[in-house]
Amino acid sequence: MVQNRSLIDESGKRSDGRIIDELREVKINVGIIKNADGSALIEFGKNKIIAAVYGPREVHPKHMALSDRCVVRCRYHMSPFSTDTRKSPAPSRRETEISKVIREALEPALILEDYPRAAIDIFIEVLQADGGSRCAGITAASVALADAGINMRDMVSACAAGKVDDKIVIDINDTEDKEGGADMPVAYMPNLKKITLLQLDGELNSNEFNTCLKEAIRGCLKVFEIQRSSLIEKYFGDEKGLNE
Amino acid sequence: MQEVKRKYVIPGDIVAEGNLKPLVNVYRNGNLIVATRIGITESNKDGAKVIPLSGIYFPRANDIVIGKILDHSSLSWSVDINSCFNAHLPAQDIFGRDFSPAHDDMGSQLSKGDVIVARIAIFDRTRDPILTMQDKDLGKIPTGELIKISPTRVPRLIGKRGSMIQTIEQASSTRITIGQNGIIVVSGKDKEGINLAINAIHIVEVEAHTSNLTQRIKQLLNVPESEIENEDTKRNHEINDTEINDDKVISNKIDKEMGMMNSNGTK
Amino acid sequence: MSLSKKSTIIVENLRKKQMMESISTGKRLDERSLDETRPFEIELDVIKKANGSAWVKLGKTEVVAGVKVETGEPFEGLENSGALIITAEVLPIASPHIEPGPPDEETIELARVVDRGVRQSEMLELSKLVLVPGKIVYTIFVDCSIINVDGNLLDATSYAVVAALTSCKLPVFEIKDDKVVDTGRTQEPPVTTIPVSVTTVKIGDYLLLDPNIEEEACMDARLTITTNSKGSIVAMQKGLKGYFTVDEVKSIADKAISKGEEIRAKLKELIHHGKKE
Repeated sequence: MVQNRSLIDESGKRSDGRIIDELREVKINVGIIKNADGSALIEFGKNKIIAAVYGPREVHPKHMALSDRCVVRCRYHMSPFSTDTRKSPAPSRRETEISKVIREALEPALILEDYPRAAIDIFIEVLQADGGSRCAGITAASVALADAGINMRDMVSACAAGKVDDKIVIDINDTEDKEGGADMPVAYMPNLKKITLLQLDGELNSNEFNTCLKEAIRGCLKVFEIQRSSLIEKYFGDEKGLNE
Repeated sequence: MQEVKRKYVIPGDIVAEGNLKPLVNVYRNGNLIVATRIGITESNKDGAKVIPLSGIYFPRANDIVIGKILDHSSLSWSVDINSCFNAHLPAQDIFGRDFSPAHDDMGSQLSKGDVIVARIAIFDRTRDPILTMQDKDLGKIPTGELIKISPTRVPRLIGKRGSMIQTIEQASSTRITIGQNGIIVVSGKDKEGINLAINAIHIVEVEAHTSNLTQRIKQLLNVPESEIENEDTKRNHEINDTEINDDKVISNKIDKEMGMMNSNGTK
Repeated sequence: MSLSKKSTIIVENLRKKQMMESISTGKRLDERSLDETRPFEIELDVIKKANGSAWVKLGKTEVVAGVKVETGEPFEGLENSGALIITAEVLPIASPHIEPGPPDEETIELARVVDRGVRQSEMLELSKLVLVPGKIVYTIFVDCSIINVDGNLLDATSYAVVAALTSCKLPVFEIKDDKVVDTGRTQEPPVTTIPVSVTTVKIGDYLLLDPNIEEEACMDARLTITTNSKGSIVAMQKGLKGYFTVDEVKSIADKAISKGEEIRAKLKELIHHGKKE
């Protein structure tokens, strides 16, 4: 993507006032959907996204069940009022692709063999989108999965990095996504140090790519701290002293 | 006194290091034992595990569960046991071995919506759980107030050798039937006693992981001071007393692709 | 084609017994009296990118409604009217019993009943939202996402639509050089009345207002009545396979008017309070 106009001003401020290595504010509220087995509401900058997990539960239709592990279903969907221009409620091709990459970002963390013949359903609903919604969705879904008590090898944390005004920046917002030079969302398992989502839209040379990846992972680790504190707050709020 | 180290963990956190045996809700990654769920760790010479604080009920053979009848086929009832699988109660369990749909009317024994307490007779990875009601104290529950709690809190509610639940029953003059699946039926003669019991149960659910819980419950129930011992040094044992079957060590299955261990558990 | 379905939720006989015993003494299992509605909360302007929005909590039922305003062609036969389109979706996050997919007959009925209540009450003076008669009008979308189901989606969704529309900031469009231009200014929506939907269900011989999910699983019939600020009835819908007697319908209608007035006052207060923040 070739940029048409400058997105960073002379004092180094981006379109939303941040500097190049600054993340947007992230807040996570665990257990927001009372009917779900696990859930989380994430506010990542202006992104407002709910992830809810139902599972393990029965597979419908029954013939889709797998004998040795569980089936994972993942749906990423945007409410019509979530974008600048109103979006039709029917699923789009973009949502279908994003549903798939999100599922593939989360599955490596799940111990699927523990739940043969069952299904784990992950639903991500975007109430407001502002660049990086799939990363925010993955982050919320990982918290929702932990909230649901699903056996996981590790959490999954996600953050995008990119290129704006030929500089590598962390956590791309909507304007930078649409007009910037490159956008690279990454999902990462923070303890196992493995990448489970990697996409690129734009142009990066070899050096830029390495820096971008490093920045994205640094973003993932910052996001992980917030996932962890939101879970500890919900489950152990009054007895934090038990931790060493 | 056993040395018991305890931590709050989320999935991916380290529970212990070294040659300990991984028990439940953990897996081995090289020299580390890692948590797979949110909960409280326990590691001692017998092994390392995480006591989970969330999660739906996953069936185990021999568990006592409370379920509701959904439907029936010609040979069995299907039962909702508040889990990821529906269970089945064979008609033969009630009618005997010479049950025949031609002359035995299933509807005369159990109908849709009936609540039963049963034991999981068979459950494995290949099929839905099969129930039986043949043991003592199992069968249809005709009256009582039905409530649901998180199944992860059931061990705490039962207490060591049933101490917590008996305390609540005696103080409120109620009879409380608890399913491992988190369904509870409280029956008694007066509404006040039942409400007191339900209150106590909800407090245990919310505060299961805290210390001094037993003391607070006894205070709520107005149990005399002399009976309040220092229960909390025994709390470790209460939580240990969950009769965890060895089958539950399924979390120990290691993924070869992760480059950690061979699937038979050797390094 | 509409098909009778197996009930998705089976209530335990113990609970049903408890419920009926309690109702016969005038109290429900959640301690409410039969004509008492659950407390409700509204948070406004929760979706900043929308022109207006509301997050409604009616008991544990939660609905988010967002208003998006564009320009477009008027509906056929309504050349001098702005276009108002109301949709509703019960999201799969909202309940274990939802299968993702196109809206089923209950969801479609929900959206249409809410739409009828708002449209028939003439809540918005649509004639004031025309740019070029017969060619270009304001198109107002109100989309509702139901995010947690605990009964009475009809009323909760209706309150969300009313709150979002009343509190929205309409863009001011103008025609310049044959093109539609957003002037950047905003205007108050032309609201003439506040429609309030009140749903009553019948369980056995008893009539209950604002059912929760367990009561809905035991209900035989349902009647939703929407009234306007003058206390007139503007929309009605009976649902489910049970029936009502004439007297029951009359009593439900009276209750819907009086209760509607109470709820209208509460809605106005919450919206006024929310707008200030």
